[in-house]
Amino acid sequence: MEEALARYLAPRLEAADVRVTNLLRIPGGASRETWMFDAEWTDPVGGRQSAPFVLRKDPPASLLETDREAEYAFYSAFWGTDVPVPRMRWLENDPSVLGGPFFIMDRILGCESATARIIAPPYTAVQPKIAENMYRILAAIATFDWRGTGIERVTHVPTPETAWQHELDHWERILDTEAMEPQPIMKAAIRWLRANPPPPAQRISVVHGDYRVGNFLYREDGGIYGIVDWEMAHLGDPLEDLAWSFNQSWHWAKDGRPGGIVDRETAIAHWERYSGLRADPAALYWWEVFSHVKCQGIWVTGARSFAEGRTNELILPLVAYSLINAQDQYLLRTMGRLP
Amino acid sequence: MNPSPPRVLQGVAANLLSEVLPRIPTPFGQQLVGIAAMLDMMVAEEFDRAADRLVTENRIVRELLAAGRDLLGESVPPSVPQALAAPAAASFRVSDLQRENDLLRAALIDLHAAVERTPGDAARDLDERIWAELVESTRRRHLSARP
Repeated sequence: MEEALARYLAPRLEAADVRVTNLLRIPGGASRETWMFDAEWTDPVGGRQSAPFVLRKDPPASLLETDREAEYAFYSAFWGTDVPVPRMRWLENDPSVLGGPFFIMDRILGCESATARIIAPPYTAVQPKIAENMYRILAAIATFDWRGTGIERVTHVPTPETAWQHELDHWERILDTEAMEPQPIMKAAIRWLRANPPPPAQRISVVHGDYRVGNFLYREDGGIYGIVDWEMAHLGDPLEDLAWSFNQSWHWAKDGRPGGIVDRETAIAHWERYSGLRADPAALYWWEVFSHVKCQGIWVTGARSFAEGRTNELILPLVAYSLINAQDQYLLRTMGRLP
Repeated sequence: MNPSPPRVLQGVAANLLSEVLPRIPTPFGQQLVGIAAMLDMMVAEEFDRAADRLVTENRIVRELLAAGRDLLGESVPPSVPQALAAPAAASFRVSDLQRENDLLRAALIDLHAAVERTPGDAARDLDERIWAELVESTRRRHLSARP
């Protein structure tokens, strides 16, 4: 893979002697394979150059089947804004280059992303600062003016009245198509969601789609230096992201706190203050119930991919065994059916 | 008697964690071995209880479907009498029991939706019985070995 990468980079870096080193697959990345590598080359005026990169490559099958061009467009739209993202470099749709379509971005150095680290020293001391930054940045995503950016070309634009329905239709279809067993708990929740729709969205915003602890890069100073994993980004109700960040699947410290770093009241206060938007409790509750349906749609998609032999990624049966039933329990808890 | 499959899988997991994992040089490789060990533990737990869980659940769901058929009469969704009329699993193989479970639980979804639309105390009582079974179904599936 190093040689293929070097050949791909040579014309793009205007160099004949590109060398790829330190190629390593990064743990996680259940929806796309994530690799890090360094490149060294001689520039056209003879200077030696080097740079660290991250490569995101489509696997044969995954937790999600998403559009890499859309993900690339969302990353690119936020480059240079108040929402920190790695700079996108190249998007390649030809699967013959590396065995699957991929894109390459700059690697942000000196950061941590692990969910196990953020709930332990030395990061526990700066959790309040990380949390404030997390919800300040989410507010910046919610208030970002996406009109006129590349985002418009790659995604559906819902109305404030239909944003909820578009998402619910999408994820119910995935659940119906992908689940290998009937889902009576999720289907009961979907009936409730349809019977009790939320009020129209306050605005149509960029929704990251997987905004949570685990999908940003942080440091010991409490700063957040990169928001990553935009593969489920779309336009919709900004409350969707806020509710998603509260889902029990990301309560890493198992202490009831979203992400294991902040209580929900503080998170809501940060988000409201920085965004100028309101987290209406009834609307937020609707999106929290929805977040369980969406999570389950993701888990059952991965389970089917593995069961049908389209991939041997062990993370997929692990997710199936550890999260499908747990997600039902989390939903029952949100709906007041479990203590 | 051979060591039981759960015990064998637990032994595999223990060896992966204590002997193999420390020798893997890359974070991705370490993650893979850790996942394999966790899967071993969860599959070991599921192996021992799967048939019992399915036999128990299939009996309870059949009772709920029968109660729904009696309550709703002619307005019962067609999937309910169809599931009740279908023969029970041909064996105690997990795959056979799971097929029966899928048929019964699909009918339970239709019944639950119909009961929600039906007025009256009897419908509310059955609605609560269905919810109680759904809660209990997650307890049956809970894995103590999950991370």
